[in-house]
Amino acid sequence: MFGLPDITIMAVGGVVLVITIALLYWGLTFKGHD
Amino acid sequence: MEADWVTVGVVGLYFIAMLGIGAWASKKIKNTEDYLVAGRQLGFWVFILLMIGTVCSGMSLLGVSGLGYKAGWPTIWEQIFVPLSIGICIIFFGVKLHNVSRSAGYMTVQDYLAHRYESPVALRTLSAVAGIIVSLIYLVGQYTAISIVLMWLFGIPLWLALVIATFVTMAYTAIGGLYAVAWASLVQSVTLIIGVLVMAPIIIWYAGGFTHVNEFIATINPNLVMPWNPVGAFAPPYVLSFALLLGLGLACAPHVINNVLAIKDVKYFKWSPLIAFVVYGVVIFLLKFAGFAGLVMVKEGVFTLPAVSNAQDFVILYGIQYAMPIMALWAVFAVIVLAAVMSTTDRLMLTIGAMFSWDIYKKVLKPDADDKNVLLLSKIVVVLSAVGTMVIAMYPPDMLAVLIWMGIGTMLATFAVPLLAGLYWRGATREGALASMTLGLLAALLFGFLNYFKVNAMGVDFAAIPLHFSAYAFVISLLAMVVVSLLTVKTAEKVLDETQTGWYISKQ
Repeated sequence: MFGLPDITIMAVGGVVLVITIALLYWGLTFKGHD
Repeated sequence: MEADWVTVGVVGLYFIAMLGIGAWASKKIKNTEDYLVAGRQLGFWVFILLMIGTVCSGMSLLGVSGLGYKAGWPTIWEQIFVPLSIGICIIFFGVKLHNVSRSAGYMTVQDYLAHRYESPVALRTLSAVAGIIVSLIYLVGQYTAISIVLMWLFGIPLWLALVIATFVTMAYTAIGGLYAVAWASLVQSVTLIIGVLVMAPIIIWYAGGFTHVNEFIATINPNLVMPWNPVGAFAPPYVLSFALLLGLGLACAPHVINNVLAIKDVKYFKWSPLIAFVVYGVVIFLLKFAGFAGLVMVKEGVFTLPAVSNAQDFVILYGIQYAMPIMALWAVFAVIVLAAVMSTTDRLMLTIGAMFSWDIYKKVLKPDADDKNVLLLSKIVVVLSAVGTMVIAMYPPDMLAVLIWMGIGTMLATFAVPLLAGLYWRGATREGALASMTLGLLAALLFGFLNYFKVNAMGVDFAAIPLHFSAYAFVISLLAMVVVSLLTVKTAEKVLDETQTGWYISKQ
């Protein structure tokens, strides 16, 4: 896809996806007070 | 090339706008707190764009595409870890520092270190001096980037490019403090985001489209489309050290972390990590792809890069020039690059001013100094740091990215461990922090020197070490913290409670 080997798509896409989910989880659970 | 009046007008207007923001902001400055932390009144979007502007540096436009041109997809990891550094800074440092600073009134991250480690003189001075050193290294890289743009656009000599850039950035930062830096960053970051979203796809399209670019660079060298190199730089171990370098190193840099002290409401930390990651991630990915497209254009003979040692840093400028042959647009792009560079440069200068005037002068040398003198000294140091680094930048390094990574690497080795251990480990002691910071800084400077100058000593070829040099210095800093802390007297429980030290991000 896009002229790239599968391993590049999976490695880069996978890391971006994991980070996005982690930051989404942070946003959903952070209460915003000490 | 020689600039026409339209170009001069566009760039001139941008400079005038920045000076106007400085003049406006100067009216809001009543005391040192206003100057250094914008009266702790930064709003949500101003904060996010300030964080993006601070992290988005000269490397982000010129160095990122330059590295893409030179080494292809294995370097893509910087486009993930740099945007992530904003989230790491907010989540792991920002929440707790902001909460504690509401009662403790911190102006700088050194205030926190002095409080947490009960070291109002030694650690404060060491961390301020270390902060000034690493900020100066980083600042030289920024001025180099500014001069590349002005030389390209106006065909003017390096010294004149540096003088113009220094004067404008210094002027609005010195008179307007963090208010000016934050509002200038808002304008600069919006300019950068819109500009890159429009122009980078045009360069990629001009080179034949995203798929064609990838297929073409794979014919030059198949490794250019792989996620990492088989050995050496950007092999998997190096990529991991790169994650540490960029993700954590930038997050703990004084000019980045001090921003979290200036926000109005801790609730801003809820969504700012995700928004910053997505927005800045898209921008910086596009810049990297523009660098790949530049490689295709060079190989297809569309243009030739200048015969200078840092030629790859010019690739996006030449890409714009050939993909969009309208001079007024080049001027707009030059403004975008200047905006990216200046948004980091101004924050660095202000941070140096704060570390000297607040941490060294007010807190160590002259505790009875009145606020007016501290404020004046901050402005003087901003001017001196700008002029000093401008002189150093007269001799630009071979590769912009390398110099800027050296700055970040030194920040990682110096600040990451004392801050993380201070916030999360109740066993971390003053002596541990002093040892960690001292050895981390010295090791980073030593390994950085050996690596940069490709020294081969004691049977080690420092040009070919498998990790980024800062990772070794980071480990030394970590070991020093653990070993020395275990051997020395613990910090008072009262202080640990006041600074909310423990294995949590925020008490809920």
